[in-house]
Amino acid sequence: MNYQRVLNFAIAKPKAIYSLVLFITLLSLAMIPMIEIDTDPENMLSKDAPARVFHNQIKTDFLMRDMIIVGLVSESNIFTPDTLSTIEQLTNDVLQLDGVIKQDLLSLNVVDNITQLTDENGQNHGIVFEYLMKNAPTTTQGSAAIKHAVERLPMLNNTLVSGDDKAIAIYVPIISKDQSYVIAEEIRAISKNYINQKKTHLAFHITGLPVAEDQFGYEMFVQMGVAAPLAGLAIFVLLWYFFRNIPLIIAPMVVAMATVLIIMGSLIGLGFTVHIMSSMIAIFLMPIAVVDSVHILSEFADRYKAGDKASDTVKQVMGHLYTPMLFTSITSAVGFYSLMLTPIPPVKVFGAFIGTGILLAFVLTITYIPAYIARMKPETLANLQRALQRMQQKGRLANSLQQLGIFSIKRGKVILLAFIALFALSIEGITRIEINDNPVNWFKADHEIRISDKALNQHFAGTYDAWLVFSNNGVDETAAISHFQQTLSAIKASVTKSAVIKLIENWQQSQTENTAQASPFFTQNLLISLDDLRFEAPDSEQAWLEQLYNISEQALADKQTFTDPAILTWLANLQNALVENGDVGKVNSLVDIVRTVNRELNSGDNKDFAVPDTSNGVAQTLLQFQSSHRPQDLWHFVSPDYQKTLLWLQMTSGDNQHMTKVVNWVENYIRSNPPPANIQHQWAGKSYLNVVWQDAMVSGMIDSLLSSFIVVFLMMMLLFRSIKYGVLAMLPLTFTITMIYGLIGWFGKAYDMPIAVLSALTLGLSIDFAIHFIQRVRELENEYQSLTRALSAMFQEPSRAISRNAIVIAIGFTPLLLSPLMPYITVGFFLASIMIMSALVTLVLLPALLTLLNSTKKTA
Amino acid sequence: MNRLFYSNIKQVKRLVVMTLITLLAVNTTLQAQELSAEQIIAKANLAAYYAGDDGSAQARMIIVDENGQKQMRQFIILRQDKKDLGDQNMLVFFSRPSNVKDTVFRVEKHTEQDDNRWLYLPALDLVKRISAGDKRTSFVGSHFFYEDVSGRNPNEDSFSLLSEDDNSYTIKAVPKNKNSVEFNYYIINISKSNFLPTESTYFDAQAKPVRKMTVLKVKNITGNATVMKSRITDLTNNSYTEMQFRKVKYDIGLPNNIFSERSMRTPPKAWLK
Repeated sequence: MNYQRVLNFAIAKPKAIYSLVLFITLLSLAMIPMIEIDTDPENMLSKDAPARVFHNQIKTDFLMRDMIIVGLVSESNIFTPDTLSTIEQLTNDVLQLDGVIKQDLLSLNVVDNITQLTDENGQNHGIVFEYLMKNAPTTTQGSAAIKHAVERLPMLNNTLVSGDDKAIAIYVPIISKDQSYVIAEEIRAISKNYINQKKTHLAFHITGLPVAEDQFGYEMFVQMGVAAPLAGLAIFVLLWYFFRNIPLIIAPMVVAMATVLIIMGSLIGLGFTVHIMSSMIAIFLMPIAVVDSVHILSEFADRYKAGDKASDTVKQVMGHLYTPMLFTSITSAVGFYSLMLTPIPPVKVFGAFIGTGILLAFVLTITYIPAYIARMKPETLANLQRALQRMQQKGRLANSLQQLGIFSIKRGKVILLAFIALFALSIEGITRIEINDNPVNWFKADHEIRISDKALNQHFAGTYDAWLVFSNNGVDETAAISHFQQTLSAIKASVTKSAVIKLIENWQQSQTENTAQASPFFTQNLLISLDDLRFEAPDSEQAWLEQLYNISEQALADKQTFTDPAILTWLANLQNALVENGDVGKVNSLVDIVRTVNRELNSGDNKDFAVPDTSNGVAQTLLQFQSSHRPQDLWHFVSPDYQKTLLWLQMTSGDNQHMTKVVNWVENYIRSNPPPANIQHQWAGKSYLNVVWQDAMVSGMIDSLLSSFIVVFLMMMLLFRSIKYGVLAMLPLTFTITMIYGLIGWFGKAYDMPIAVLSALTLGLSIDFAIHFIQRVRELENEYQSLTRALSAMFQEPSRAISRNAIVIAIGFTPLLLSPLMPYITVGFFLASIMIMSALVTLVLLPALLTLLNSTKKTA
Repeated sequence: MNRLFYSNIKQVKRLVVMTLITLLAVNTTLQAQELSAEQIIAKANLAAYYAGDDGSAQARMIIVDENGQKQMRQFIILRQDKKDLGDQNMLVFFSRPSNVKDTVFRVEKHTEQDDNRWLYLPALDLVKRISAGDKRTSFVGSHFFYEDVSGRNPNEDSFSLLSEDDNSYTIKAVPKNKNSVEFNYYIINISKSNFLPTESTYFDAQAKPVRKMTVLKVKNITGNATVMKSRITDLTNNSYTEMQFRKVKYDIGLPNNIFSERSMRTPPKAWLK
């Protein structure tokens, strides 16, 4: 590769370089207004990931909605006319909001009650179906009656009203989860009309995963606008501190800005959404993009003497730095590109664009920076010179680095032992890592969302949902089909018979067309068609049509697994065991509906809170449930063909660990208590999806880390043409990664999404220092023919460049610490630590090892 | 034999009445403008819910949810009028799906007081009196409310005639007690030729249409224009229920005593053919 020619061109025709950079940057800038924000953690799984497909299928089949949970928490009892009337008015206002699915909203004044009809003598006269609280009561007795009624309705108790009577909830279903922030804001505004200074005993809360996620997106957007420029500013200030020369440091800033804008612009322009991961691209690229420039500037400042021709010095510097910069850029890019091996789409996009951004920054650095320096005025260069001298005189950094150098070289054995001990300790720490995530914890502990989440989960059975779905395994129809066909074949030809044959043929055709999914023959549609035929057919054909109808209906009835009392009782036991186990706050299911209606149809006493003895009994109970204001509620828990049922689990935390524990518990339970029929189960719901993508993330990260480790290792051996130096180059990053994750383990910080991504970053960034260090040591060793002299020279300018770089990047990430969003804080904190740690490891471990290896070679 | 004779007489009577009504109808068309909204509604109520002195019909409901999933319910309705536009007795016998077969509803509809309603569930072997806070609960999970099946009491609404053309009247009905219903008002189209409602649309507080009843098929049965097929659609999600009638018969001479608890446990088979 002929970099020399490129360099000459850049220095000769700086304006061509300037215009090209400007043009591409403006072009990319034009794309940015097309930005589309995506905050849905569901997108952590690809659109066709089986768990996600199943989750969405269940959402459609059972008409499960994304829910915003509004809560009122009182210091005393919420069953007062005043509070109940507040909830009534609030509900009515919320019902008017656009985007709210009215018929599925759950609140005390829109749900039904079923009770015994008793006269003043306590004589039972029947049952009453009515709204639980059409209007808020005006008396204390009225409020107490509502409390009593709710306690008898398992579907509502501890869901709409907390067990301690101190909190009350409204479940607001919305048509689309991307509207949750807007709707939540509207509800917050409405709530101000009811909960004001006069009602200090009432606290208003709003929560639910959709709100958390959408709110996160909103704040993320703000963050991008604030944190990225702040990072830019921090880097600028720092560069000024080091170089005291505004014109000089404008160059790296231009490289950083151009890189960030081109990458973000093309990401948006190519139609990718900006996810939480990609929103961090700008902040990541900014410091990385200036690193190479800092190397160039440092070395230029060191070499340039007054009277020199700037372009000659630049050429010298570039000739010197080109190879290590190329390799550090490629290795960093490899670290990020390896993220594309994870099965998580936003992480792939993140890795791909940062990897490319690093290469772009490299290209910009090796063209734009020399062109810029070569054009600098002599006065400016003289200024630079003065600044440099000042830097070398004072140089607190320089002094401490020198001392560090002496220490590293003299205390090789101690250092090695210390590192081995630290390494062992870190490994122990890694084994203690707790894998866990929870999107609500992406907010800081004092964030409104976290406070609401905590308050509501303290009172209620839980605001986190998981759905456990049972289905029969597709009951075998062959016997019934052949019975149907046999019956039909005995009939003599007629218009009606041809019509029935047509029905069979249509089904057979759909079978051959759609081989992926076997569609059943016996369906409601078949019954409707047969019934239509009966209506038109002459009397003489009624008998056999009736027979066919009965065969079909029986076949359909045989598939109605979830009206079978034995299965419902088994589900009831599972449900009780789940709640007793303690990890699940509450389970809502078909069984509760059946048992509640059955109790009221009979005595109203607890003894009748049971599943009827027969399937018909169950069906008739459910027919009564459907004679309410909200018949559609039933279809959230069972499919209309009764072949699938859904258990809605409420949990008090959204921790993935919590969910995993419940999933494992259910597996064990079902293994030791097999269901009385052939049914299978599968999980859905947001809490469960989070577990699925987290598992994918953990295993994906290990793959990505291992593969990039190997690639980088091979590249190192190639670069240094030596196995020994290849291994040495890998040591600092190996130690850094191990120590960082060891620390995470020891501190008990959960291994979550941001932490997982850090591994690739560490690898990509800490290898830089090792490359520069080893490259320079070998050069100097050649020059001086002595490792000792080479090493002490290393602790002059080269070590300063490394340290400056580490500090620039570390400080560049610190604005992230000001964010209200935890992933940003985590990334900021750990990246800063990684930079400092890997610089230190490089400067301490490598000289120590080189010295030790050298002495063994001599003694040998 | 006797009954047959009786019903023949009744048919003759009906024919005479029909002729008179036709003659009158010519007259009414001329004077149509003079009918008040209340009068039109009364005629519509009569046509839709009081045809004949009694009647029976087989009904089939197909409930289609917003996913397009279907469910079917079949039942036979027996009805007896105490007085036109007055109290009525009703029995509803379920035949399908088979797991709810022989479930029975019995209703004593009153215009001046609350209805009496009973329920028989064969699988649980119980007869229960049902009391409901209002009449706008779903009829067995369909989009039809109890009130759509039994007829909404005209005293519940205030009516105003919005417009009329050659074929129909358009009337706006505003409930007197908004608290007892889920809608704000409804607009009903009534055919001038037979006074059957052809379409009713229910509006919410923001005057947005949310629910709609459409008559899909009308047939003349022994002189009574009869809705044979109608549909109620939830306009918020386009789920709907279609109700079809078959074997509609009027003036069949249902005896008073079958409208009793006894009939619930032991259906009067002769009348359910």
